[in-house]
Amino acid sequence: MTLGKRDLAPHNELSRKSQCLLSSRQSMADRLLKYIIPMLTLFSLVAYSMPYLRIDIGTKSVELSALMIVIANIRVSVEYLLVFPVLFRAIIIISPLLMISACIVSFFLKKHIIASILSISALMCQIIASLYSSEIAKSLVANGIGRPEVSMKYGWFVFIFLTVVLSLSVLAQEGLEKAAEQVFQFTALVSVGIVVIMTVYMFAYGTPAIAEIGLIDFLLGKEWRPTAGEPEFGILYMILATIFGCVGAIAIGVPVGLFTAVFLAEVAPKKLGDVIRPAVDLLAGIPSVIYGFIGMKILVPVIRELSIRFGINTTGSGLAAVIIVLAVMILPTIIRVTETTLRSVPRSYTEAALALGNTKISTIFSIQIPAARSGILAGVILGVGRAIGETMAVIMVAGNIVKFPTLFSSVRPMTAGIAFEMGYAEAGLHRQSLFGIGLVLFVFIMIVNVSFSYISKKGGFTGEN
Amino acid sequence: MRIKKKDAALLVLIWSSAILTLTILVGIIGYVLLNGLPHMSLSFLTSTYSAVKGGSKGVLPMIINTLYIVLISLLLAVPLCLCGAIYMTQYARQGRLVHAIRFATEVLSGIPSIIFGLFGYAVFVVLFQFKLSILSGSLTMMICILPIIMRTTEESLLSVPSMYKEAGLALGAGKLRVTMGVVLPNALPGILTGIILAMGRIVGETAALLFTVGVSGNFLPKGDNFIDATFGHIFEQGNTLALHLYNSAMNGKDPVAVPFATAAVLIILIFILNRLADLVYRRLNRFGDR
Repeated sequence: MTLGKRDLAPHNELSRKSQCLLSSRQSMADRLLKYIIPMLTLFSLVAYSMPYLRIDIGTKSVELSALMIVIANIRVSVEYLLVFPVLFRAIIIISPLLMISACIVSFFLKKHIIASILSISALMCQIIASLYSSEIAKSLVANGIGRPEVSMKYGWFVFIFLTVVLSLSVLAQEGLEKAAEQVFQFTALVSVGIVVIMTVYMFAYGTPAIAEIGLIDFLLGKEWRPTAGEPEFGILYMILATIFGCVGAIAIGVPVGLFTAVFLAEVAPKKLGDVIRPAVDLLAGIPSVIYGFIGMKILVPVIRELSIRFGINTTGSGLAAVIIVLAVMILPTIIRVTETTLRSVPRSYTEAALALGNTKISTIFSIQIPAARSGILAGVILGVGRAIGETMAVIMVAGNIVKFPTLFSSVRPMTAGIAFEMGYAEAGLHRQSLFGIGLVLFVFIMIVNVSFSYISKKGGFTGEN
Repeated sequence: MRIKKKDAALLVLIWSSAILTLTILVGIIGYVLLNGLPHMSLSFLTSTYSAVKGGSKGVLPMIINTLYIVLISLLLAVPLCLCGAIYMTQYARQGRLVHAIRFATEVLSGIPSIIFGLFGYAVFVVLFQFKLSILSGSLTMMICILPIIMRTTEESLLSVPSMYKEAGLALGAGKLRVTMGVVLPNALPGILTGIILAMGRIVGETAALLFTVGVSGNFLPKGDNFIDATFGHIFEQGNTLALHLYNSAMNGKDPVAVPFATAAVLIILIFILNRLADLVYRRLNRFGDR
């Protein structure tokens, strides 16, 4: 590694002098930078009159600037008058106000970090405004106006660009080190942002259908006929299929996974362990569509043959096949987590048990597994999450008929329902109801996730359990 | 030493579970390869696909589209994750912010791909008007692989001994310089492993791409000028290998050899990536303690 001259801290007279020179040059750059900020803010006011939003209704189209959205109701044609929601207008006004205040804070008060927070919130306002545009399209549909398309025009992109440049140049005044830290922090926050936006979106898209159908009718309704003359949207049997499939998979997958993990952690000869461990990793890496394909080609015919031999008439695809495929798919998750936790049980525990005259196997099952139970539980919860959310493998073996799930009947879990119908669902209540199913699934998964992070925070190995 | 009956029974269960797990894996790979390899010829890999009966049934477009998506989503996700992980390991102090970020990453890794698909459809396809395109698919996949790369990068950055960092700081280098010049290069093997793992995820992903990239099998870019010919393709629909396997298996229009051969290609790709990740990790990781 080589270090540049500028990285070395000044420690003598000469370098102090050169630093003085350097800083005077920097202050010039700083001054330039300073004036960029008010200029950007001015530009944002100009961008206010650029085309910002475009609405196409049939053959007519209107292009609106941000200014027009704020001050006027727009008459598209003789019969249509666009009235924008107050919140939408407020967001569009607030954004440049935030930019101006960022400018003032940075220019006069020299609080650059606060200024950058202000300019980033201006950016957020623009993003929220873009989220709103789809709401506008939806409300237009609800009013029976054709198939409108609402899209952001370059005025919006100019706003986004300006706010990003503003945030960066405000940050740059803090010096490279600080600016880098801020950029790193911002990127680290992206995942938080995505989760937040995702949650907002799932609710924004999922709730309209649920509200229209009614929560009780949606969750507990037994009929799912989205394309019938009098459509019915009840997803009870889909929820049941998901739950039954998940429970069955856990019932089969957890014991097998647990025993395999015990094998890997305690019993296996080293060489065999070194073969099986990568095998488990590979099993986790195999795409779900291949699991589904194999289930379709092997499992389904086998189940059909067997059930015909026992006098049950089925096609073979159904809950039984789903359970087996899911059980195989959650194996690697459970094995990995359980093995790690088993290994983290302190040696002194097992040694004490062995010294008291226990056999190795009984030590494992009466000492190590109980000691590791919260870790194992975390693994099981992860497995539940995977089983609930699995789509491709399930859709290929489930049979896809919505009815009460019994072991050999065709079923349609929630995930399969979404994936299966998304392809042909018309815009409107049918498609919205699929997002409603997505929301239910999302809530399920969030519950699983939160309980996982609660348990794994409590667990690991702390010795108190 | 006598072996109790119960112990013996448990031992049998343990061994049979392990053997069952191994058998499942060998069975899956063996079945796909036995049925797929005979149909996997050079012309299968290098010819185009047409949905017409009796037409050419190659997978070249799917391979190209898959590579496209892998490339674009990695280009987007890797810098983001690198910076994020650097913040988490080098700059952040324990606090609410770090907890929130860690929780969000955990949540993201737990969200099933069908939800990512719905989200990608709502945001990239509908809102941003990218339509069904490789770009929408890549952006969706970017979100999917964020937690994978983020976690592995964080782990490998943490595994660099703090001695290295202290030595750099003692030489008078700034924090940024030390991070970029000392910590990052030494953490590279772990980061590379994460990237390869993410590649495996993208190659095998179906549910998130089902309604974000569409199913068109074309791969010839439209337009004559250089920019359109090179980049114009990302606004077109594209079929990936895994999607192709799903479609050809479910439709039943193609001869049964097509899904088998596609599955074989997929399995081989996944196997290679998996081994590669392992190899990179073992060969290059000097501080490895996994």
